[in-house]
This record gives sequence, C-alpha cells and structure tokens, in this order.
Amino acid sequence: MSESKFETVSSLVDNYQANDAMFDEMIKDKHLSDTWDRYHLIGDVMRDDAPASIQLDLSSQIADAIANEPTVLAPKASTSTTQNFKAKVVQLIKPVGQIAIAASAAGLMVLGVQQNVAENEVLAPSQVVQTIPLGGIADPVSFNYQQNNRVSQKQAYIEQQRRFQALLSDHQQQIKLNSVRAEDAPENKAEDLPK
Amino acid sequence: MRTLTYLLLLTGISFSTIASENEQAASWLARLSQSLQKLNFSTSFVVVKNNHAEPYHWFRGVNEEGMELEILSLLNGPRRDVLRKGGVVSYIEPEVPPYSVLSSQISGPIPAILSNNIEDLADSYNFISVGRSRVLGRPAQLVRIVSKDKHRFGHWLWLDQETGLLLKLALITRKGQLLEQVQFTHLDITDTPSESLLQLHSAELPQVVELPRHHQEDVLDWRVNWLPKGFKQLNANRHRINVTNQAVEFMLFSDGLVEFSVYVSQSADKQRAVEYVMDGATVVLNQVVNGVEVSVVGKIPSSTAKAIADSVAIKQVVTP
Repeated sequence: MSESKFETVSSLVDNYQANDAMFDEMIKDKHLSDTWDRYHLIGDVMRDDAPASIQLDLSSQIADAIANEPTVLAPKASTSTTQNFKAKVVQLIKPVGQIAIAASAAGLMVLGVQQNVAENEVLAPSQVVQTIPLGGIADPVSFNYQQNNRVSQKQAYIEQQRRFQALLSDHQQQIKLNSVRAEDAPENKAEDLPK
Repeated sequence: MRTLTYLLLLTGISFSTIASENEQAASWLARLSQSLQKLNFSTSFVVVKNNHAEPYHWFRGVNEEGMELEILSLLNGPRRDVLRKGGVVSYIEPEVPPYSVLSSQISGPIPAILSNNIEDLADSYNFISVGRSRVLGRPAQLVRIVSKDKHRFGHWLWLDQETGLLLKLALITRKGQLLEQVQFTHLDITDTPSESLLQLHSAELPQVVELPRHHQEDVLDWRVNWLPKGFKQLNANRHRINVTNQAVEFMLFSDGLVEFSVYVSQSADKQRAVEYVMDGATVVLNQVVNGVEVSVVGKIPSSTAKAIADSVAIKQVVTP
C-alpha cells in the first residue's frame, strides 16, 4: 500500500484529477475505498455537514436490504431477436400443416359421401327437401336478364311446402274422420247423439 | 359356425327370460289400457318434434252414469280442442267449422290404441319390458313396442309404476334415433272427474257429420301393391284437399298403431323426382311418375313410404 495511492484518493476527493483508471483501482481495493469513505466523512465533519447520527457503513445495510427483497418468480419478457425469428418460423409452418390436415379430411369426406351415395342408391330421397341443384346453375349473361329462374325456383319451393303442409293436415283430418273402428260402431250410445 | 353357437347360446340361455319379459310388457300395456279407461285424471304434456314443443292439456274421466268424458286442448296458438262424450267426438279447429264424428276414441298425439286392446298389435309388434327409470318424479317402467319388420318405427313408453298411466312416449327409429316425444309435465289422479269434464257433460256438441261408411275402392282406378305386413285399408275415397283445393283420390291404411295415407292425382308435370319432408316422425313424400302424382303421408320411415309410393299401380281399364 504505497503513500502515493492515498494521495491519489485524497486528490480524487478534492476533485483534482478525475481519472477512470484511478477510480476503478480505488473501488477494487477495499482499503482504498475505506480511506475514500473516511476522507469524505472527515470533509463532511470539517464542513459541518455530518448527520446527527453517523451511519458508518451504509453500503452493508443496502446489501442486506437487497438480500431481503422477495425474489420475483415471474419470467422476464424476452425480446431478443433470435426468439422473435423462431416464433415467426413456427407460425409460418403451422398453417401449412393445418391445410394439409384439412385437405386430407376433405378427401375423406368426399370418399365417404361417395360411398354413402353408392350404398343408399335404393333410398333416393335425401333427408332435406332439395329442390335447387346443389352445384348451382349457370346464370345467363345479359343486361336484360331478369332472375326469373331463381324466382320461379323459390316459388316452386314455396308451392311445394304449401302442398306438403296441405297433405299433412288432410292426412290428420282423414284419420279423425276415419277413427271409427268397425267393432266400435254398434256400441255407440245412440241416445247421446246430438241430432 | 360362430353364428350357430351364438344362436344356440342366445336361445338356450335367454329364451325363457325373453318370454317372461314379453309377458311382463304385455301385462304392463294391459294395465295402461285399463287405467286410461277407468281412472279420472287431468294431465299436461308437451309434444317435442323438430326443435319445437306443443303443450297440451288432457282431461279424462268417467262420470257417475259410466260415460267416458275426455278433453284434449292445444295450449299454444289458435284453439284446437277435441271433446269426447262417450261415442261422439267433436273437433274444434280454426280451419273448419266445428264438427262431430261417431267414434269412441280421439285422434291426437297419443295413439288411441293405448286405451284399447293392445294385443291387436301383437301380429306386427313385439312388446319388450326393458327396465325402470324415473320420469315426472315417479318411478317408471319402460316398455318398448318394437316392430317385427324394418318398415315401422318403434314406440317407447314410460309407464307409472303405481297407476300404470303413461308418463312419456317416444318414437324411435330402428337405429335408435329419437324422432318425436311426448313428455308429461303434470299428472293429477282424482276420485271424481274434474270440473271441466262435468261441464262438458252438460254441453251440447256440434252436429255429427254423416260419413259414407262404405268403401269406394272400386271407384278408384289404382291400387297399392305393396304394404308392410299388418296394415289394413280403412277407407278409400275421392275428395278435395282443403288448402290447395286439389282433387285427389285417397286411401287410408292402419296397422292399429300408426296410419298412413296415399294420395293419387293427375299432375301437370310429366316427371318429378321424389321429394320428402319429415315433421317429427311423420313423413310427407311426393313424386310424379308418368303424369301421375303420388303422395304418401304417415308416421312411417321414408324408405317404407317410398316403397309404397313405387308400388302404386294404375289398373288396366278392361272394357268388355
């Protein structure tokens, strides 16, 4: 521990020569930094700046306080460029996979539907009334073209629903009219009949 | 070989149990019929089909003179009431003026056969007693009326263990798909008929309509060549359909539990592919072949309706 170093510390305290290397050396050396503390304390006392109760070792108190801080367990938000890049690559790959799965499922469905049709050929009616062709129809291209075809199809559909409804209610009506069973007929209590 | 072993096992082990289960089911159904005829009850039920529900009120009872009285009312929409005094049934509906017919059973969501001799169905259906469950807060016995062939739907009935009365009814396809169900929501059994029924007794019913009771099938130039076994023709006539005013030739068939109608008329179209809709368990099927429109309506599978429609044949008019 040379005398020159204490002189350096003294000159630093007095702001004579600001030199980073000198500062570094002083911070690393425990003896020198203690000296730096002491010189400042001497200076404060001489200038009458010293607090009423002198806390001689503030740094150790701060160190203790930091040690007592609760540990934060939440993950830190990482914003490094490598991770961003990786995420992008994953996003690009995923939809391709999904499309592939969707396509294969559609393929299976097409196969399944075809098979069903083949099996149910005898049973021609479809579960839902289908008056408009599934694939749609080619619309004539013309300025004068009015959507007559569509309108007539809709009319046909309404007409069909009306016909079905009429048949349904007539069927129920007929059951009511014909609910007399042959063996019941003679048992009717004739005296009760409103005539 | 495996099938044979399986069959042997099945017949050997469970024949006796199946037989006793069938007897049990038949006696449950007989009890249902007795209870429907003898008990005084007022009840509410909901018919659930095609994602909509129709609520009904149903009163039934026997007055001191031994006359059966019955009221069935639809509670939603325009008034639809069915009144019965003994052998006269009156229908009050928005479409037509009130009328009465001579009949000892009303036509509604509950098959009329359930209060009659259910053994009449034994030719076409098996009765199977399945198990117990809880319906309407009561212990219930599940009895299935299962078709012997594949041309009909099955009826599942949940019967009150205490009284034998109906608590729930479901129409199920052979694959087990539920088409339509009647769920009772309230059941009140009383010693005397309810006030509404006693009022009905003193009420005057609409005029009885005169119906030609003879069959007119000889008049019709066509016949149905294929029917599922057990269906019999109830009626045949010519009439006009109310809404469309279309003239049709008509035949009505029944197997005791379900009915279906066949309509034949001239069509402006030469051909029209088969189309059908389902209203709950009721199918309405329509097709035009060679200018003749054939429609089949009833609580039967669409495949059966299609087969019936295809079997309609115009008679060759033989002029001597």
